[in-house]
Amino acid sequence: MNTQKFRKIASDGLLTNNPTFRLVLGTCPTLALTTSAFNGVGMGLAVTFILICSNVLISLLRKVIPNSVRIPAFVLIIATFVTIVRMVMEKFIPDLYSSLGVFLPLIVVNCIILGRAESFASKNDVLSSALDGLFTGLGFTVALTLMGTVREILGSGSFFGLALWDFKIAFFTSQAGAFFVYGIFIALFNAVYSYFERKQHRKTFLAEFDVLPASEKVKEG
Amino acid sequence: MTVKQFLKSKTFAALIVLVCIALVAGGLLAILNDLLAISEEDRILAAIEGIYGQKTSYTEINLPDNLKENEYGSVQNVYLLEDGNYLIKSTGINGYKNGTVTLWLVAEYADGSFVGLGKTAVAENTKQTLMGDFKASFFEIYASSNVLNDNYFSVETSSDTITNIKSGATKTSVAVNNAVNAALYMIRNNGGLL
Repeated sequence: MNTQKFRKIASDGLLTNNPTFRLVLGTCPTLALTTSAFNGVGMGLAVTFILICSNVLISLLRKVIPNSVRIPAFVLIIATFVTIVRMVMEKFIPDLYSSLGVFLPLIVVNCIILGRAESFASKNDVLSSALDGLFTGLGFTVALTLMGTVREILGSGSFFGLALWDFKIAFFTSQAGAFFVYGIFIALFNAVYSYFERKQHRKTFLAEFDVLPASEKVKEG
Repeated sequence: MTVKQFLKSKTFAALIVLVCIALVAGGLLAILNDLLAISEEDRILAAIEGIYGQKTSYTEINLPDNLKENEYGSVQNVYLLEDGNYLIKSTGINGYKNGTVTLWLVAEYADGSFVGLGKTAVAENTKQTLMGDFKASFFEIYASSNVLNDNYFSVETSSDTITNIKSGATKTSVAVNNAVNAALYMIRNNGGLL
């Protein structure tokens, strides 16, 4: 794999096609579980692990799975990994397991995972699919952690469970607060993204203009 | 379509692929389930460790059937711990979407008499999507309240109840309160003895 392709997969997962802030996918766990940063990290890492594993297996089997049954086959594969994560989490991280509650088994129908399986893993090689799973998962994890951090600090006055102060705004731990914080993050993310995208376009345009032959520049001038 | 044609068709091939994936996945999960399964003993020890900070030995108490069910829910198990306190696993009913909450809670005893509730920990729940929002401060109310009278915990405030409610999760609060009440009812209707 060349560096350019690696960079594209990384920037797509983390920024350009960030599942939470750009594509607005996986909204249900994003809103429900980001009452604390710990929940955000836990859910994000669980999804990342499942994304990597399911992408790898689907990519390996992409020439074996008939097109007509690809969706049930993908769901079967994803459900298997979700069940494994549930078992491991219940055994070794029971606190996080009970915090994630019903949203852990619901990862089976998380549109980020099914979306990457359908649009990327079923059409690309194993390494690219694994990297796509990794970076999409990390993009989701970072987004959930950021939202969880803001909501926990403002809503509970703590950070990763450590009490910071007594000042709390209960609104931020409520469902309405989740929508509010999510909206603010989407707006900020897209504003910053658009700024850098415009800057990049301008740079590309100027670079193209500069490489024009001198005779062409005179004619245009 | 004849059987022979069906066996050579793409539909049959697709079915075979799906069945193969299901069999491999099922086999893998069966093996992992064997390796990662949590026994009831592990759950009890984990609950004891969660509450006491360390694992201690326990003895299971056989409860008479008439003490297992009451209007608040049910009491599944009672264990006598090394320090003379009892660990109770009880389920509260009437939660969100008629779901339940099951708690581990400590009934503290001194010289053989019930003196109050100790720490509480969530064992499991059904349909309670906001369970993760219940923080330690909510459960501390049970240990800090005087339960030596006839009052039970409720989400409503009145002279004969002890109020404990998580704002925005009233129905789940009912189920959690009921889990504690179920244990309290059992203790009170057994003359404070276990």
